[in-house]
Amino acid sequence: MSLNVGVIIKLEPDFSEGNVSYNPDGTLNRAETKNTLGPHSAVAAQAAFYAKVMYGAKISIGTMGPPIADLALKQAQEISDAEELQLYSDKLFAGADTLGTAEVLRVGIGKMQGEMDIVFAGHRASDGETGQTGPQTAWKLGFTFLGNVTSYSVDLETRTIRAKRLVSLQGSPDIIEEVEAPLPVFISIDPTFKSSYNTISQRLSFQKYQKEAKERVKNFNNYYKIFNADELGVDKTLVGLPGSPTIVYKVERVPKSTATRSAEVVDGSDPKQLQKVVGKMKEALEAMVIK
Amino acid sequence: MILEKYDVAIIGGGSAGLAALRQLSKLGKQAILLEAGTKVGSKNISGGILYSKKPKKGQVTNVDELYENFLEDAPFERKITKYILHSTSKDKEYSMDLTEAHDYQANFGCSVLMTKLNSWFAHQAVESAEKIGGGIIPGVHVKSITWNEGKAIIQTDELDEFEVKAIIAADGVNSEVAEMVEARSKFNPTQLYQGVKVIVKLPEEIIEERFGVSSDEGAAHLFAGDITLNHIGGGFLYTNRDTLSLGAVYHYDSLIRNPIEPYALIDVLIKNPLVSEFVRDVIPIKKEIDKSLPQEEQLRIRFGVAKLIKTWKEFRESSLSPSGRQSLINSGKYKTNESIQERLSIIEKQMAEKFDVTFGTDYVETEYGAKLVPDGKRCKMEKPFFKNILFVGDAAGRGVFVGPRIEGLNVGIDDGVRAANAVARSLDKNDFSESFMGEYYSQLIEESPYTLDMKQIDKDYLKIFLDAAKDVPKDIIGSRYGPILKMMSSGTFRGIAVKFANILGYDKLLPMIESENTYVKVPIQLAERLGATVSSTYSPTIPSIADRIAKLNYNDDHHSHIKVLNSESEFMKKIVTLCPAKCYSEEGGKVVIQHEGCVDCGTCSQETEWKHPRGEKGIHYQYG
Repeated sequence: MSLNVGVIIKLEPDFSEGNVSYNPDGTLNRAETKNTLGPHSAVAAQAAFYAKVMYGAKISIGTMGPPIADLALKQAQEISDAEELQLYSDKLFAGADTLGTAEVLRVGIGKMQGEMDIVFAGHRASDGETGQTGPQTAWKLGFTFLGNVTSYSVDLETRTIRAKRLVSLQGSPDIIEEVEAPLPVFISIDPTFKSSYNTISQRLSFQKYQKEAKERVKNFNNYYKIFNADELGVDKTLVGLPGSPTIVYKVERVPKSTATRSAEVVDGSDPKQLQKVVGKMKEALEAMVIK
Repeated sequence: MILEKYDVAIIGGGSAGLAALRQLSKLGKQAILLEAGTKVGSKNISGGILYSKKPKKGQVTNVDELYENFLEDAPFERKITKYILHSTSKDKEYSMDLTEAHDYQANFGCSVLMTKLNSWFAHQAVESAEKIGGGIIPGVHVKSITWNEGKAIIQTDELDEFEVKAIIAADGVNSEVAEMVEARSKFNPTQLYQGVKVIVKLPEEIIEERFGVSSDEGAAHLFAGDITLNHIGGGFLYTNRDTLSLGAVYHYDSLIRNPIEPYALIDVLIKNPLVSEFVRDVIPIKKEIDKSLPQEEQLRIRFGVAKLIKTWKEFRESSLSPSGRQSLINSGKYKTNESIQERLSIIEKQMAEKFDVTFGTDYVETEYGAKLVPDGKRCKMEKPFFKNILFVGDAAGRGVFVGPRIEGLNVGIDDGVRAANAVARSLDKNDFSESFMGEYYSQLIEESPYTLDMKQIDKDYLKIFLDAAKDVPKDIIGSRYGPILKMMSSGTFRGIAVKFANILGYDKLLPMIESENTYVKVPIQLAERLGATVSSTYSPTIPSIADRIAKLNYNDDHHSHIKVLNSESEFMKKIVTLCPAKCYSEEGGKVVIQHEGCVDCGTCSQETEWKHPRGEKGIHYQYG
């Protein structure tokens, strides 16, 4: 019994050290900043790979973005061993908010091989932080939406999924909710998702697919397809600026918080200065002891 | 939960376990190899020289037969073409050329670094293993083995339990498999050597010039005499491609008798003027940063210097290696060797002008490590099997160590092949009983020429050794050894003496040969009477053990894999000194452990509850 898995990902600025660059006004300098597969998208790709190792799922990945977003597809393929990679790229899509993006993704997912059983999305984007694209795509697809999923298993016979969700409510401790839903579902994956492979055969197929993924990335172009608005056949009023009801009327810089602690730079190679640190630590520890 | 079933499990991904996997796959048999490290090879360490041998009697499977492309493709370091024994006493040194002994019945012997080499072995072995549903599972630590209707059920810390028909235990000198099924008792100090080793960085072409070898040759230097600090054993220095392996290996019981920190035995070796000169290199010396400068400026200078020195180190290393220069030229940035040289002097000038960096002499140490070595003569398992488990290599206590003859890896590889052959035969007949599989393997092992070498003196080898020592004054030997050895040193009586010696047996002979006389007193006398004076122009800056441990790569497990059983015993008090990673300390008369810096050597295992760390945990070597 086959399982078709889709993943939607995003090319994002690489916020790791040395790769990010800012304009003098404090906004992101997108031209100078390197791009990479978003960290949450990477987790979504891992979650899809889990379905491949455990259930032999077929994986399709889609993303909306400029032509350079093929980099993200490549990175996601290396993680997930995907057999289909789609880039939705058109000038018409520019200026889209999350709803306009969700429309493109909905149509794109429809173009993927076979009917999707599960679609994974990251928890949020590192450059947008709204976390809305996933749920909106799910709503447009009419799929059951499962958010903050930390682990899952699929019953191929009954075509149902069982998932654990991390539910955080302000003012009360986090709880893990276990839910069951019939396929198809749309999952936004929690950053704490970890795949665990507990049998020899799972470990062996994990290695097999990992190897296969490396080979596939080498022949990336065999799996990669780029779609413009016409090829996708989107309703042009529902995408890009026309399809985006959000109006950004003002952007404010987050005010710099006034420091409440004073920091001191310590030279780690100077024993005298280190001595001082140790002294402070002792003081702090002593203060912690309940007398 | 369904119980998964496989034909064979190999426990341990060292060179012996990998050889078993390779051979089984060659024979078309499915096997799963379980390795505790994150990657195969990352927990292995060796001296080390790997031999390919051609014994005059009997057959062995050599590394270059098991891996047909070994000589062309394998990342071994250098073929050793010079084998020299140095006797030392302070600044005196007397050397004996033992190259002929090293070449004895050898196709070749090459220096190796285990992490790299085992990873290559694994790559070769896994290709064929995968085709028949087998493979290597890293990050898994076996915790128990039970039996159900003759089949073994393996439980690990990481996976669901599974069933196999046969097991090859290749889990090293501190074999937990052997202990958990009570196939043998733990090796005791009289049966073991303790080895410690550091890797010293040295550019490729400096090695070749200094040791008088060409790019496909290498040298091995052994040391005895005052550098032993009166212990039975010695030092070694092997040339690798662009590093040196420098170590000290001592009979463990001799260390117990006269406890000393293992690293002190390396330190004294490095301080020996001959060795100091072998390891010396050019070192940039940073100028003290002016503390009166603003802190931001101080930081800017610190980062600037560090970055430039890093660039210099990398560039210099490439410039002193043919392949390094080639890749610089291929990169398109440099046209000729001269332009590379020019760039190097520009960097050096920048260092001097911008940051007042000067150049001095010292040596560069990278990785420290330790391991116990089973002395095959004293601890090879007489019955290397238990139920459907076969023991190979270190786990079976096998290795050939006779004076300067130091062979462990080749023995383990050959054992692995023999075990694989025995298991394959059992798979064909579906009989894994002790009488069919274990006894047969035992017979194969008995036929191994290495086993014979663990039992008696090889008189041809001895002849070569004694010929090399022919200049040693007879009175030194006469005053130190009994009549048998005296007879051996005379050509006329050697044959008779060796026969007589073998009748006496290793048990009686070994205390005579492996004595303070051989490793300490005679070498010191030799150096003093016949030695040349050597001097060194600098005194090496030796890192402390804390610095050495701090450089190692650990995946820390909050859960200690070692538990002290008796914190007040005499043995444990000695372990405070003998632990090569200084994990133990004595507090208020009680010995306590801090396991975080443990290098899994097993020195303390005699009186502790000792396990390997769980999968992926503990030490991971970069060189090994």
